[in-house]
Amino acid sequence: MTQTPKLAWKGVTKRFGGRAVLDGLDLSVAPGKSLVIIGGSGQGKSVTIKTALGLLRPEAGEIELDGKNIVGLSEGARRKLFSRIGVLFQGAALFDSLTIWENVAFRLLNADGVSRKVAKDRAIEALEQVRLAPSVADRYPSELSGGMQKRAGLARAVVAQPEILFFDEPTTGLDPITAAAINELISNQVRRLGSTAVSITHDLASAQTIGDEIAMLHDGKIIWRGPAAELHTTDNPYVRQFVEGRAEGPISHAV
Amino acid sequence: MALREQWAETAMGVVVLALAAGFLTYSLSVGGVGVKSGNYEISAKFGEAGSLAPGASVTVAGVKVGTVSQVTLEPKTYLAVAKLSMDPNVKLPTDSTAKITSDGLLGGAHIAIAPGGSLEDLKPGGEIDNTQGAVDIFGLIGSVIRPQGGDDDDKAAAPAATNPATQPAESY
Amino acid sequence: MTAQAARKAAPNPIRALGRSTLAAISTVGGVGVFAVRGVAAALSPPWFFGQLWRQIVAIGFFSLPVVGLTAVFTGAALALNIFTGGGRFNAEQVMPQIVALGITRELGPVLAALMLAGRVSAAIAAEIGAMRATEQIDAMRTLSTDPFRYLVGPRLLAGVLMLPILTAVADTIGVAGGWLVATRVLDFSPTVYIRNTISFLESWDIISGLIKAGVFGFIVTLMGCYHGYNASGGARGVGRATTHAVVSSAILIFASDYLLTTFFTHAAK
Repeated sequence: MTQTPKLAWKGVTKRFGGRAVLDGLDLSVAPGKSLVIIGGSGQGKSVTIKTALGLLRPEAGEIELDGKNIVGLSEGARRKLFSRIGVLFQGAALFDSLTIWENVAFRLLNADGVSRKVAKDRAIEALEQVRLAPSVADRYPSELSGGMQKRAGLARAVVAQPEILFFDEPTTGLDPITAAAINELISNQVRRLGSTAVSITHDLASAQTIGDEIAMLHDGKIIWRGPAAELHTTDNPYVRQFVEGRAEGPISHAV
Repeated sequence: MALREQWAETAMGVVVLALAAGFLTYSLSVGGVGVKSGNYEISAKFGEAGSLAPGASVTVAGVKVGTVSQVTLEPKTYLAVAKLSMDPNVKLPTDSTAKITSDGLLGGAHIAIAPGGSLEDLKPGGEIDNTQGAVDIFGLIGSVIRPQGGDDDDKAAAPAATNPATQPAESY
Repeated sequence: MTAQAARKAAPNPIRALGRSTLAAISTVGGVGVFAVRGVAAALSPPWFFGQLWRQIVAIGFFSLPVVGLTAVFTGAALALNIFTGGGRFNAEQVMPQIVALGITRELGPVLAALMLAGRVSAAIAAEIGAMRATEQIDAMRTLSTDPFRYLVGPRLLAGVLMLPILTAVADTIGVAGGWLVATRVLDFSPTVYIRNTISFLESWDIISGLIKAGVFGFIVTLMGCYHGYNASGGARGVGRATTHAVVSSAILIFASDYLLTTFFTHAAK
């Protein structure tokens, strides 16, 4: 593979109080592909995404976007970079003092200087993409169910047609039917925009629906990586234990 | 959004603002800030103004008839010039006497005017010629307690420390 | 205990002292850096005027009832106390002047600031802390919007602008409280009370109080933002941030009040 990866972690190390949560992580995503990172709780999945977003700064290693290092960018350059990125946070992270449409159009209103009328039209369009009725636009996040909040969060992530999408535990806390609907919406949107996607999850169904490729993170390193279809056929003992959900195996109890 | 949802608090806020504005208007109307325009101004020169400051009252027979609006120094004569803003209903004879007094040891200085007997009244912008400056009460008290003179006063104020050699060791 | 064990244990108190000193220094440094970033965000574009207006209403307008209530009762109580105290050396008649001076120079700004510490500092810490806990602040950054400009700047500006206005209201209502007691209970003449107050007060009495209020407004909103922004540990962390915001605001208000008063007394001479 000679193609420059869209996004690559190169020897990334991040410590919290002496403990290395990421320990020389090497990982990359090709343009237009969807990568899903799986792994147990506390294995550094969220940290992986947050280092790429610049919300956490790694102690060592580089993170490259289109072949260019983005660690330690200035605030202004980072802000510009974010205009090419969309993120769906674990709890949707909608601003509770703003209406749904103001949430969806937040970037347009506050960073891009789009007029309120145009921004609202675009927000309603994005809401339709995630199958939320226009009547939801003027309600507040607290008036919506968890699944609807996730959809609104997804609309906010895709409204500016980003090149890269990040999904942090997109189905956590949802019932299986709603989770399936969210998974389907995510893969639809990623396909529609042709974006590169990086997701983290411990929900295997979700991983197989939205991922082209799956990587498993354990002890701050990638211990297995392969096409989504191979998740159930691999003989990697770590992956086997995770997929089969056994308490005994090479992965010791974190609890 | 907030204004409509929290109507009770909004109403209270408006009430508080209205009360404050009402009291302020009332105060300014009775407090004479706007009424002072009818006053006329006279001046008086004193050899010693003491603690006389703008805002001090001007009284006749103990009744307030005006305020001191300004205290400045006349550079040529080294006299303190006080401008007095007077109630237009009070006319003072030209030979009246202005005297700086105080309400007691703790009170501030004010100007007491003793009306004279002249038939002519002071015009706006006029000057009271007969004046008596502030009396240094502590100086007075000091001279009563130690009639020997000011030299002794200095030593009493700073015993031993300033010049221990001249002081007899009587206190030891 | 052997000598060796004693030697091992001995450095501990000194180390603890060193560690807590370092922690204190790094907190002061952290607040300082935060304050500078906040001021820079408040004074440079892009400005979020919608947010500023929202904070002006929340911090300024909705604090009017509690500030007014505090001021009227304090003014009334102050009048009674000074009347009693003044009576001990036959100086009851200077009560209006002392009440006015005490309120404009000291109690108006300090009480309004303390009410805001309880009401606004806590609310800001809780709101921003909850936003931190639910990743809303991270989300804002990924939406190309600087949280310092969107959240911190408007709050600091609103605090610095609104507390002097609230203090002016508190001054007026505090004097009115004293006036009410004086005229209803103590048989003062309503107009004489007002005239004495107005002719006695100098503009500096009021202005120095309003300058104090501006500083207090900065302190109250800064503490709310700082503790909320650095909240960690979920709901408990938000609760802790709220407490810290109120306590640190109150302490800083009293400390800076003394410093400012000292400065003003020297500057006025």
